[in-house]
Amino acid sequence: MIVCVAVVGHQNNPLYIQSFTEADDALKLHHMVHCSLDVVDERVNNPKKSGPTLNETFLGLLYPTENYKVYGYLTNTKVKFIVVTTDLDVRDADVRNFFRRFHAAYVDAVSNPFHVPGKKITSRAFAERVSTIVKSFGLSSAG
Amino acid sequence: MDPASTPLGKLLLDEITPVVMVLSTPLVEEACLKNGLSLVEMLSPFCVFNNIDVPVRTASDQPYRIQKFKLRLFYASDIRHPNLEVAKERLKQVITRAGEKDDLYSEPPQTSNLLSSSESEIQPSWFEFFNKELVRTMSFSDHEAFDHPVACLLVVSSKDEQPINRFVDLFNTNKLPSLLNDGAMDPKILKHYLLVHDYQDSDQEKAAKILTDMRSTFGLHDCQLLCINSSDHEMVERQDNPWAPYKSGDSPSQRLGCFLNVDDYNEIKDLLQDLSSKHIIPYMEQKIRALNQEVSATRKGFRNQIKNLWWRKGKEDVADSPAGPMYTFSSIESQIRVLGDYAFMLRDYELALSNYRLISTDYKLDKAWKRYAGIQEMMGLTFFMLDQSRKEAEYCMENAFNTYLKIGSSGQQNATRCGLWWVEMLKARDQHKDAAVVYFRICDEEPLHSAVMLEQASYCYLLSKPPMLRKFGFHLVLSGDQYKKSDQIKHAIRTYRTAVSVFEGTTWGHIKDHVHFHIGEWYAILGMYELAVKHMLEVLACTHQSKTMQELFLKDFLETVQKTGKTFEVLKLQLPKLNISSLKVAFEDHRTYASPVAASVRECLWRSLEEDMIPSLPTARTNWLELQSKLVSKYRESNVCVVGEAVKVDIEFKNPLQIPISISSVSLLCDLSAISDELNSDALSSTVGPQNDDGSSNLTTNRDMSSENFSFSSSEVDFSLGGGETTLVQLMVTPKVEGILQISGVRWKLSGSVVGLHKFDSNMKKITKGRRKAKPPCDNLKFIVIKSLPKLEGSIHSLPEKAYAGDLRHLMLALRNPSEFTVQNLKMKISHPRFLNIGSHGNLKTEFPSCLEKKMASEQSGVHANSNNLSQTVFLFPKETLIQGEMPLLWPLWLRAAVPGHISLYISVYYEMGDISSVMRYRTLRMHYNLQVLPSLDVSFQVSPCPSRLQEFLVRMDVINRTSSESFHVHQLSAVGHQWEISLLQPVEAIFPSESLMAGQALTCFFRLKSCRKSLTSTDKVSTLSPLLGSDVSLRPEGSNEPLFDISCSPLADFHLCERLHQKMSHQGDPNAVDFILISQPLKDNITPGIADPPHLFSHHACHCSTSSTSPISWLVDGPRTLFHDFSTSLREINLKMVIYNSSEAVASICINTFDSTSTSGHLSEGTADLSTYPSGDQTGWHDASVVNNIKVTSDVHVGAQVGKSLSLESVPPFIWSGASSTRVQLEPMSATEIPLQICVFSPGIYDLSNYVLQWSLLSSDDSGNQEGKSQHSGTCQGYPYYLSVLQSA
Repeated sequence: MIVCVAVVGHQNNPLYIQSFTEADDALKLHHMVHCSLDVVDERVNNPKKSGPTLNETFLGLLYPTENYKVYGYLTNTKVKFIVVTTDLDVRDADVRNFFRRFHAAYVDAVSNPFHVPGKKITSRAFAERVSTIVKSFGLSSAG
Repeated sequence: MDPASTPLGKLLLDEITPVVMVLSTPLVEEACLKNGLSLVEMLSPFCVFNNIDVPVRTASDQPYRIQKFKLRLFYASDIRHPNLEVAKERLKQVITRAGEKDDLYSEPPQTSNLLSSSESEIQPSWFEFFNKELVRTMSFSDHEAFDHPVACLLVVSSKDEQPINRFVDLFNTNKLPSLLNDGAMDPKILKHYLLVHDYQDSDQEKAAKILTDMRSTFGLHDCQLLCINSSDHEMVERQDNPWAPYKSGDSPSQRLGCFLNVDDYNEIKDLLQDLSSKHIIPYMEQKIRALNQEVSATRKGFRNQIKNLWWRKGKEDVADSPAGPMYTFSSIESQIRVLGDYAFMLRDYELALSNYRLISTDYKLDKAWKRYAGIQEMMGLTFFMLDQSRKEAEYCMENAFNTYLKIGSSGQQNATRCGLWWVEMLKARDQHKDAAVVYFRICDEEPLHSAVMLEQASYCYLLSKPPMLRKFGFHLVLSGDQYKKSDQIKHAIRTYRTAVSVFEGTTWGHIKDHVHFHIGEWYAILGMYELAVKHMLEVLACTHQSKTMQELFLKDFLETVQKTGKTFEVLKLQLPKLNISSLKVAFEDHRTYASPVAASVRECLWRSLEEDMIPSLPTARTNWLELQSKLVSKYRESNVCVVGEAVKVDIEFKNPLQIPISISSVSLLCDLSAISDELNSDALSSTVGPQNDDGSSNLTTNRDMSSENFSFSSSEVDFSLGGGETTLVQLMVTPKVEGILQISGVRWKLSGSVVGLHKFDSNMKKITKGRRKAKPPCDNLKFIVIKSLPKLEGSIHSLPEKAYAGDLRHLMLALRNPSEFTVQNLKMKISHPRFLNIGSHGNLKTEFPSCLEKKMASEQSGVHANSNNLSQTVFLFPKETLIQGEMPLLWPLWLRAAVPGHISLYISVYYEMGDISSVMRYRTLRMHYNLQVLPSLDVSFQVSPCPSRLQEFLVRMDVINRTSSESFHVHQLSAVGHQWEISLLQPVEAIFPSESLMAGQALTCFFRLKSCRKSLTSTDKVSTLSPLLGSDVSLRPEGSNEPLFDISCSPLADFHLCERLHQKMSHQGDPNAVDFILISQPLKDNITPGIADPPHLFSHHACHCSTSSTSPISWLVDGPRTLFHDFSTSLREINLKMVIYNSSEAVASICINTFDSTSTSGHLSEGTADLSTYPSGDQTGWHDASVVNNIKVTSDVHVGAQVGKSLSLESVPPFIWSGASSTRVQLEPMSATEIPLQICVFSPGIYDLSNYVLQWSLLSSDDSGNQEGKSQHSGTCQGYPYYLSVLQSA
């Protein structure tokens, strides 16, 4: 299950961060997302470690902790997507697929002429769409 | 890099060294305690040999030399597993003590500083010590051999009785550590006998004797004498006490070793050097060689390996206990381990490694996991010390770590030690990131322990390349939480404070708030409320937090503030938010405002209004030498306000939270520097420049906010803001003395406890009233306060906000002067004279509207309109007008709502000070009113010349009541101008059946208008401008004898002039244009009873209604209409007369052409009767526009064609024109002439004498220039139908 998704701007400022847990652990997830930015930076700055293809947007598993796995994704505009899951055995393909859909939703959200680039994404439509994607991720991996 | 010089290498050389077990008698301790030391403590400083230079030969034949060596001395009672609880307690003390030293008041470090400084500077120094202590808690384990005593030092005092027996007793098995007793290690260890002699007790002889005995009993080399306390009287002072680092606790270090002089010092040193180089190292060498031989014999070689394997296989079904099977010292496994450890301690790492390798698989096969882990650990360290195969070293460490963890809680401690070594190993290789991960793994459930580990991990992230700051911050926060859990609040604060710098400047609000809030909370626990408040301030404006969090933050903050017991002054308090861009300053210098609305009007509007009223600035200069002029020029540089008059500042407060907050005592922060009395003109002249800083030396500054401050008073505002609310607050400051007033900021009180300050930043200031844009902005809130001046207050009584168009009212302007000084030379100007007109003082008391009623002719001249208050001119109050004291000056004003719409009325009153000496000569009072005018009656007039009468016109009036509910009585219609006479065409009852005009009703009625002007004279010309006599017609029903209103009366006439100006049309100056005034009154019963509504009068003005819609030439054919004639006798000649009138202002040349035709059809007459409305095909839709030319031209063509046609058709005319067929006359302007005409009629009949044409042209050219295009210069007019009935006479 995905517990948290986040969009982080190219200056590492949070643009959108949403947790999908009932528990009051927003702070923890914020910290986790914030920390994983270090790893994103590291991957981006050391491309030899980041895998064979230079144009790969999917950054893979960033940060395995005891209970969570953090995956990252970097768009062309240096906007980072971070996903925190509690599934400890997730296929990369699933996560890739998730990120692709998430990216599409993000692009639609920032294409809104009323969105100010670099500011927080407040679109409700985006939030709904993200939560749909998150839910469907849980289903597809369960099935 | 030499592994030995790394921190880990040093640590290993320090910690993995031979252990010497010390057994001593109480008397020995007693002797040592005289120096404040125990025996071990006394000896320890001399156990480190930095340059021992001993040749060592281990298994190989090649000897090598050891330079550095160390022995660890322990009492036998200490050689056991340390008590875990005690150890923990000690660690906790270490941490607590370190925490006490922290300076919580200092500024927290910045990340940039941290990054630039070296590792040792960043990390708290006690980490190293803590780690060492932690490692020590794991010592003397039975699964490893390097903590096993290599030698035993038996110490007996010379005072002891039977010292030889004491030596024997000391090595009594039941006192020995369990390691030796339970068979984990060989009890046959190297023994060394030491006799301690205290010089203070007795002389040396006895000791020497005992030593001889000892030597004979225990052997020559193993016995030694140590004499101490040789300096019996004076204290030995040492610069650097060697014992100080070894003595824990807080006894004064001066006392340590006070009886030990240099001889003792050297003796101890020699003793231990001797012990290590001559006894312990050779013993170890020997043991290594012996063990190596045995191991080689039993385990090396192919045969032994096979045997061993087979043998192990047989033991496969051993119980899988965590400790594995028990190995005694005699077992080969233990011996290999001992061999390895001894080799390690003697730096023969290759030998050690080969033995560790050998035993490792055995332990693994035996499932002796703890021992296996221990071996792996040592292998890792050995690899490290050999500086080879890093991967393998790490693998070994990880393997050891995991294995320790696998065996459960008992391995936890060992895992920690292993982890620490591992971390050090990674750090030595600059793998800080991996080190951090290991630190993280070391954390166990014990919060204090893990707090320290997490903190160390965080520093590893900081030190890693590139630095991982976010992880650094995160681990600091985690560590802080753990510290807090274990009640180490100071440490918690320290970690959080360091973390703050990581999150500073980022937008991760949740994290930032968390960190700041907790720091604040913890400071509050420690009672450091100031710091607590400082941090809590950071979280106050947390808009992104939930409502409950906001409540919590605010509550905690206020509680903390209360605990401090004082009110805080906080610069830039975030709660509430100030909208600086909303800052507006309103002040009154020479411009004063009657209402705040007036103050908000744009300055340029006022300036254009006052343009010709106020004296221009250069004229204000009176004399070069005069002080005033300098002051004036100075004031031009800065804003001026007057003592006793408030400067108002509007500013917006916004509550960013979702919870309500209460704000009180909002006031302005001001500085008023009073100009001291002895200020002379020289000093002042130096301050004339724009930046008058040097002038401030003469100013005495009065600080604000004290209640007994006389220099100014400022208002205080209290309000409360709901969640997300915004409030605009007006603050005032009233200076009380002359000087320079500087408004520097705003101050407020949040929830009655915290005072927020906001200084207006000089570059953020915006002033709306500022006249001078080029001025530096920091001066905008700076005012020069001048001495108190009279200030007029003005208001207009009973000015309605809403009125119907045409509403005419009598208003009263009241001007008051509260001060005791007089003002004089009043002037007034009104922006819209069309709406607001100034009455004369005479009609102050008059009653409205009866004052407008027509009086007897004798009185009429009294209230003629004065033409001087025509549009845009300044109204001068009478010279003698002075306003002083409580008596207000009342002046009548007339309001007439001229056109529908929203009208802003600006009124400016100029006045001069009665007191000439005052700095400011004049002031203006600006009043502003908004008036909404609703549409009422729409009146339009159409004037057409009467065809049958010369100089007479038909007036058609269309009236529509546009109101939604009002009904009107139409009272009277007046035509303005003495040359006009207007009269009714129909009785009034026929026009207004219901006597009134209901809402929405439209009416049309007709009037006759007659011009009684005969000729143009010079007096006439003047009279068009001057007061308006006119003729009126009452539209009231016959019975009512309500008086008519006099339109030449002051307000009506004035407003009419304004209307004339506004309704300027093409016929400007056209003498034939007529103005109408329709006066109506609202129906009385529509007025709500009970409210004393002033009587209303509505006047509607329609100006410049042109009468000359056809041509300047009008004519009338006059003659008999019916004739009897006997045609049998003769034809009849009939004389007619044509009166031609030239209504233009030019000489007209007129040519009358008659042509004979028999046409009696109405065709022609139709075309001539109403030329302006001739229905021609291509003119529909706009033919009744006032553009006359086209109509005329086309109708001329039309006429010509018709004439031609009729000529061709008709052959025998029934009558012929018998006079001249063409007559030409010249006609003076505004004059008439008569032309005789004659026709001959041959038979009886009805004749239409319209077959003539008037061709006219205007000759004079004097006003052709401005009338170009407005009226034509020539034209042709078809004759009017004139029906003549000629009857056969009987």
